[in-house]
Amino acid sequence: MTSHPGDHKQPHGESPERPGDEALPRQAPEDAAGLGAAIESEAATSGPEVVGFSVPAPAAEPQEPIERDVPRGYWAEAWLRFRRRRLAMTALLFVVFLALVAIFSPAIVGTKPIVCKYKGEIYFPCLGYFNRSWENAIFTKDRFRNVYAGNLKEKDPESWAIWPLIYQDPERRVREGEWPAQPANPTRNYGSPNRYNLFGTTPAGVDVFAIMVHGTRIALLVGFVSMGIAAAIGITLGALAGYFRGWVDALISRLIEIVMCVPTLVLILALIAVLPKITIWHLMAAIGLTGWTSIARLTRAEFIKLREADFVSAAKALGAGPSRIMFRHILRNAMAPVLVPITFGIASAILIEGGLSFLGFGPPPPTPSWGRILAEGQQNNTMWWLIVFPGLAIFLTVLAYNLIGEGLQEATDPRLREAGR
Amino acid sequence: MRRFWPWMTLLLGGWLLIYSGCGSRTDSGSAQTSGPGDEPSISANEPEPLPPLEPFDPPPLHELEAKVEWIDRPVRDAMKLRREYDAAHPAPISVQEALALRNTSAENNEKILLTLGKLPTDDNQVNWDATVNRRLTMDVKRTNPLFFSSVSEGEVSSLIGFGLFSIDWNLEPFAAAEHVVEWKTSKDGLYDLVVMRDDLTWSDGYPITAHDVAFSFQVIMDSKVGPHIPAIRSGTEELRWVQAYDDRTVVFFHKEPLATNVWNIMFPVIPEHIYKDSYRDDPQMSTSPYHQELELNPISGGPYKIVKRERGREIVLEAREDYYIYKGKQVREKPYIKRVRFKIVEDNNTALLALEKGDLDESMLGAAQWQAQTNSDAFYAKNTKVSGPEWTFFYFGWNMNTPYFNDVRVRRAMSYAFNHKEMLDDLCYGLYQPCLGIFAPDSWMAPKKRPMQYQQDLDKAEDLLDEAGWVDSDGDGIRDKEVNGKRIKFEFDILVSNKPDRIAICNLLRENLESIGIICHVRPLEAAVMQERMFKKEFVAAFSGWGAGADPSTSDNIWKTGAPRNFVGFSNKEVDDLFKQGEREFDREKRAEIYGRIAEIIYDEQPYTFLYNMSSFYGFNKQLRGYMFSPRGPFGYSPGFGSVWVTK
Repeated sequence: MTSHPGDHKQPHGESPERPGDEALPRQAPEDAAGLGAAIESEAATSGPEVVGFSVPAPAAEPQEPIERDVPRGYWAEAWLRFRRRRLAMTALLFVVFLALVAIFSPAIVGTKPIVCKYKGEIYFPCLGYFNRSWENAIFTKDRFRNVYAGNLKEKDPESWAIWPLIYQDPERRVREGEWPAQPANPTRNYGSPNRYNLFGTTPAGVDVFAIMVHGTRIALLVGFVSMGIAAAIGITLGALAGYFRGWVDALISRLIEIVMCVPTLVLILALIAVLPKITIWHLMAAIGLTGWTSIARLTRAEFIKLREADFVSAAKALGAGPSRIMFRHILRNAMAPVLVPITFGIASAILIEGGLSFLGFGPPPPTPSWGRILAEGQQNNTMWWLIVFPGLAIFLTVLAYNLIGEGLQEATDPRLREAGR
Repeated sequence: MRRFWPWMTLLLGGWLLIYSGCGSRTDSGSAQTSGPGDEPSISANEPEPLPPLEPFDPPPLHELEAKVEWIDRPVRDAMKLRREYDAAHPAPISVQEALALRNTSAENNEKILLTLGKLPTDDNQVNWDATVNRRLTMDVKRTNPLFFSSVSEGEVSSLIGFGLFSIDWNLEPFAAAEHVVEWKTSKDGLYDLVVMRDDLTWSDGYPITAHDVAFSFQVIMDSKVGPHIPAIRSGTEELRWVQAYDDRTVVFFHKEPLATNVWNIMFPVIPEHIYKDSYRDDPQMSTSPYHQELELNPISGGPYKIVKRERGREIVLEAREDYYIYKGKQVREKPYIKRVRFKIVEDNNTALLALEKGDLDESMLGAAQWQAQTNSDAFYAKNTKVSGPEWTFFYFGWNMNTPYFNDVRVRRAMSYAFNHKEMLDDLCYGLYQPCLGIFAPDSWMAPKKRPMQYQQDLDKAEDLLDEAGWVDSDGDGIRDKEVNGKRIKFEFDILVSNKPDRIAICNLLRENLESIGIICHVRPLEAAVMQERMFKKEFVAAFSGWGAGADPSTSDNIWKTGAPRNFVGFSNKEVDDLFKQGEREFDREKRAEIYGRIAEIIYDEQPYTFLYNMSSFYGFNKQLRGYMFSPRGPFGYSPGFGSVWVTK
């Protein structure tokens, strides 16, 4: 019988038809349904709390240990363990919430209609917040000058529009007369939080809430893209080193050691000095290209362990090539520990972006960025709202990723799992 | 410290480059430059040597005296001038009232300045043992006055350097009476003769003589030293020779009788006995161990000397007794302040906190700080604040050698597109006046007729752009134009120094331009990087500023065709000719006309979108007295810091 690492880890495992068969899809249907329900109930209780940025976890219903004699895959098992950790779950939900905010940011606050009908055509001007070229040129041609409210009706009385929940803009100040009964945003140091500016305004009169909501995109993007790059490099190199050993291993290990010596922040500052144009993508690339070492090391360690496993020998015996063995058989079993540094990496990437923006090396305006509001707050220290809100957002996001990472670690590491009992 | 040392006028007299926003000028030091070669990033490699000075055989003094008709020039004591000013402007309120007064209006500002700005009427009022903690916004790189390039270095050099000439708070040049007995100029404008005093010494005890002055000229004109100090050199280039006839008499030989010759003879003086054997081998005067030692412990010719220097932290200066006492007799006024501690505080907020704590006695304030953060009791407990107008303006510079801005219609469209009102009222806290050209509106060289002030008019801007051929032909919402057979989009970067208040101004421009179909990317850069790119002309647009020159002729290095600091590539034959005329015209009225015309032409061409004229804002400890503002701030003239004193 061929052995399968998932099988090692679950005493009641069925023997798969093929070695290395997918662990995840093999969940029992009712189990999956139960999971879905659990997510919903969690969301129901903790969702609003998260919205209000209050930290304490909800007093959720006591989690009964779900001990069924149903065979479970390794991932299902890990997910189960993870779910039991209330803090980690809250953190996960917070990140999901942030992702939703990021995706729907133009619909939450903005000055561009979500949908509008203008001169007989339907347009989605709010997409301009994602990418300027997605905003239709007709509005520039018709001299809208980025102000849709008012202009829309004036230039085409037949037009209609669905507007975002809050009429504010992350890239510019809202001025008098744009939106009925809404005054111009206060400038200088007068923009303390008020009815129209929930989190106040910057000295230039840009709404802080709008910057924060749209800045979520940057914060999450930085985390995911940079760690995506890091994971791709780290896992590939780690896998090669761990699987082939020998000179490949020696070479890659030395490379890891060298890259570990490169201080990310200094590298980025150097890049800024050298490159004529620096964008957020350069920053992400720099963070990604220096942040893969711990991922590579862990992957390598896992591969060294697993390459001796029976199921690998079996796969070899069946004539599988190295790449198939590495990426189809070993990798999926090595993934769990690797996820942990990735999650921590996302947290640190967000911190680096915040720090760079704070120092003024972040993405230039109008890209909304949490760190830049902080920098403005540092210049105008009487404006507390420039410090409290973005500071809290960065703190909570980084905390959430760290909690998720820790939860993952304990859920996937059998030793910790036992200890956690 | 009594005097604002004259050679500084030349350097500051050249227009200073300031990368600063309306908010603050805190780091302007890092960016203020006197010439293109001053930054090490630019002159990393040994530059090409300049042609050597042609030898010159000066006629003997008696021959010169025989053939030349002399006109006496002013030799003044700046402190005396200050006392006369004080007498003519009595304090409107008592000192107690002034100390209690909050600076909430222009009227109060004047009251505080006139009252607390007074010199002591009685020596017993002065705390002669005082230490004043001053703020530098960046560290001093060089202490050798020849190589001074930043404002910080200027502040220190003005206390330890030696010079023959100076300027007062109206930026009028004169010879400093503490150093000079007599100054006369030949009627034909070709010679300047200066007789120095005989009681001057360097801090190492050697006498300061006319030979030092002549030697300094030779060093500046040295073919290898010259490339490192282009700003000073641009003035001395106009001199044919400097000859010391004896220890006290020095004659400046001019190439041409120019109105600007008075500025050309103002250059820093270094001790001959120290440098005569060493400068040839080390033209940067900073790499050999001997010069390094001198950088740490420079020989001072001014009223102070450096006693302690901690890099990046502080520089401590102490009054030199041998400056005002010569052979046991007091020959000059004793400096009011015994010790000056320059603390290096880059951040504006840190400086404000230090001011409130009493760790600093004076500091420049940003606009936001002036308006919002200095009204509390915490600030007024130990300090007061004052402001004065300054001849400093800020602008968006449009590189005219790019396909975007070679058309005057496009440049005017930029000025029409920008929301000037919001910048002045909101981003600049309503503290600054709009800038209407290259000369400050209250200066004598500004045009008599007030030019048209640009206001935002997006329709006009769009019409001008359409006219210039920038239309959105491919329907992507961005204007484009065919240039040399290639269709290019109107999309460019604007460089700006990395400060939130400055970025905010550029961001407003970005927003305004975006609304008329032009994409503008704001590129915040470190001041040094930005400076380098501007000198190399590797930019399309930039936000920057210029500080005032004492004489309008000094702005020719910004506006003449091909001038080193003509970053935007402005070229106008009439302006070039007018600058030449201005140099040769001696009548103030006629010069004002010439320079007014230059300002008009430049304003009409709009190579810059002129933004605002800045004022200086300062916080002073309540113990400090005697400060006064010139168009170059509270210290950039004579007596400047020399008139500041501390009460008992």
